[in-house]
Amino acid sequence: MKSKFMLRLMTLAVAGAMLLTSCGEPAASEASGSEGTASSSSADSGEKVELTMGSWRTDDVEQMNSLLAAYHELNPNVTIKFQPTNPPDYNATLRLQLDGGTGPDLMYARSYATGEELFDAGYFADCTDIPGLKENFTEANLQPWMTKDGKMFAVPFAAVSHAVYYNKDIFEKEGLSVPETFEDFLALCQTLKDKGYTPLANGLADEWDILEAFFLGMLPNYVGGPSQRALYESGEKKFNDPEVVKAFEDISKVAPFLPEGFEAVTYNDSQVMFNSQSAAMFVDGSWTMGVYKDAGFNWGVFAIPAPKGQKTAICFHPDMAITMNANTKHPEEAKAFLTWLCSEEGVKVASKNLPVGYFPMINFPMELDHPQAKEFLALNDGKETDARFVWPKLMELYTPMNQAVIKVLKGEMTPDAAANDVAAAFDKLPK
Amino acid sequence: MKKPAAKNRLNPGGSYWIWYALPAIFFYVLFMAFPLLDSIRMSLYTGTTNNFTFVGLDNFTRLFTDPDLFARYWGSMKNTVVFFIVHMLVQNVLGIVFAVLITQKNMKGSKLYQTIIFIPTTFAVLVTGYLWKLLLNPVWSKNALASIGLEALAKPWLGNEKYALLFVAFVSCWQWIGIPTMMFAAALQNISDDIYEAADIAGANKWQVFWHIKLPLIKPTVGIVTILTFVNNFNAFDIVFAMENVNGAPGYATDLLGTFFYRIGIAGQHPIGIPDPGMGAAIASITFVILMVGSLFVMKLTEAKE
Repeated sequence: MKSKFMLRLMTLAVAGAMLLTSCGEPAASEASGSEGTASSSSADSGEKVELTMGSWRTDDVEQMNSLLAAYHELNPNVTIKFQPTNPPDYNATLRLQLDGGTGPDLMYARSYATGEELFDAGYFADCTDIPGLKENFTEANLQPWMTKDGKMFAVPFAAVSHAVYYNKDIFEKEGLSVPETFEDFLALCQTLKDKGYTPLANGLADEWDILEAFFLGMLPNYVGGPSQRALYESGEKKFNDPEVVKAFEDISKVAPFLPEGFEAVTYNDSQVMFNSQSAAMFVDGSWTMGVYKDAGFNWGVFAIPAPKGQKTAICFHPDMAITMNANTKHPEEAKAFLTWLCSEEGVKVASKNLPVGYFPMINFPMELDHPQAKEFLALNDGKETDARFVWPKLMELYTPMNQAVIKVLKGEMTPDAAANDVAAAFDKLPK
Repeated sequence: MKKPAAKNRLNPGGSYWIWYALPAIFFYVLFMAFPLLDSIRMSLYTGTTNNFTFVGLDNFTRLFTDPDLFARYWGSMKNTVVFFIVHMLVQNVLGIVFAVLITQKNMKGSKLYQTIIFIPTTFAVLVTGYLWKLLLNPVWSKNALASIGLEALAKPWLGNEKYALLFVAFVSCWQWIGIPTMMFAAALQNISDDIYEAADIAGANKWQVFWHIKLPLIKPTVGIVTILTFVNNFNAFDIVFAMENVNGAPGYATDLLGTFFYRIGIAGQHPIGIPDPGMGAAIASITFVILMVGSLFVMKLTEAKE
């Protein structure tokens, strides 16, 4: 009875999606009708065109709408509609739409294998020859959306960072300062706990956040940057080497400073706890910043500190790119938008309207308006940065590593055993 | 066997009835039979949409021989069985108890109780799931529980591998208990008063009346409720989706066949999210066979003797 209801709901949703796209049909057929006479570019002929953009960022509707409105002002003939999906459902929904031929004209593309897979399936257009793309981005920033044979399947749009959010008011009141080493960080947590605060808001219930924001956020401090990561990827370094074991050891020491009942604390709970000042710190990604824009207290961010004797590095992750549907009815207009994103003037407008906590990846110097966003980006200064460890080549280790981190924090597994588990999962990968 | 009714104006004889059944058959075939057969067909393929290759029974072999896949499948199967047993013991046994109580002749306000018991059934699963998720989370419920002296209950139940599945099952029972209660109550109300009078004259006590009169007479309903619970539980997905997540957190402790199927066949495993519809269909096909065999067995077991 229950599952049938879900099924009906899904059928309804799919039917609804079909209806939506079929509503957009008249404009489409008009455009294709004119194509016969006025060769291709409908922008010249003054044809009104409506494009849709798929995304997993439901939180960013406001900012993206103003970005797209800015584009509309520059190109009055083109209207782009932002149609985001709930983040965990994005991949599934997008795939259903693309399979059914109702995919959006423009859409967010995940980095690395997740995005590449949709390109290989023929859904994403080849973006390699978009003007400005090769020139205006660094190799490192292009790489996450590049196939093995050097084709680009999307235009890099924004990166996210990972750090410790802290309540400046509480720190000031208690006379605390930002820690320099991981050992200082633990001492700081102890002090906060002794004073009756919940030091950290992080929990385990949603599983992904403890790995993506916390463990992968701190991992570059232990294993080093991209050059070191490559050694793990090639198998030269093992996942149960002292560096990885030390990372598991250090995260296990954090358990006493998590909220009471952290096993059942969800990502939303964590945000609420930090926002309501019942927790003093929260290890999280920059994408959450918008949530605290109305917070009634001062807050800032500091880098997750490295253990004594190690250099602090930052997990700065290429997160989203925008690409176009290979089968869009308006390839010219979609391509024009992507070209605009690769140009200096385009990205200037875009970065003004970029959701807070997302950092432009293009090579032009950008001025961010948001003070904490500036603070976040400044953490990168003089430090090595890397993508989330497993993303580039070892996505298969995501789940084993996630479960290992959770078990270590629950005290069900020793750090050594956790590292061995991940190493065993690596050995099982097809070579 | 009934004798065929005599032919008359309303019964012209022959297979005229097919015209009445035709619309229903049409919709049944279109929305039930065809998708079912098509999904069984899909279990013999691999790849993603537009790019399917025929692999025969490979999906089934892989499901049972790939150690990682099998560990998850077997885990979700065990969890589903536990989930079902909890529903039988808690939801359906309580359902009978409540039904017997509210159908007592001298029970005051039984309509009110019926309403109260049935109310949770009308809530959306996502809403009940989310509410109970907050109630079972010490971060939010500790102060309230402490104020009534139950602080000891403020534990992260949903984050503990030992208890999470039980609590999810309890919440599901809490929500759906209205349905078996109503079905049992309706069946009990159908029992003729003559039988009770006869029992009364024979000197039977309440307990004997329950065991020897009420229970045997509602046996077909017990069968239907069992089958409904069985089918719903083996297809359950939404309550886990609402309370834990599609991974069946913590540590796959609440991973049911439904969530496992969803991860493999529809959404793909986070964060890559590449679904394997063929494997998903294989899982669903096995579940279908289990349900069919199980339902036939229960039907045989509980059919009313003529």
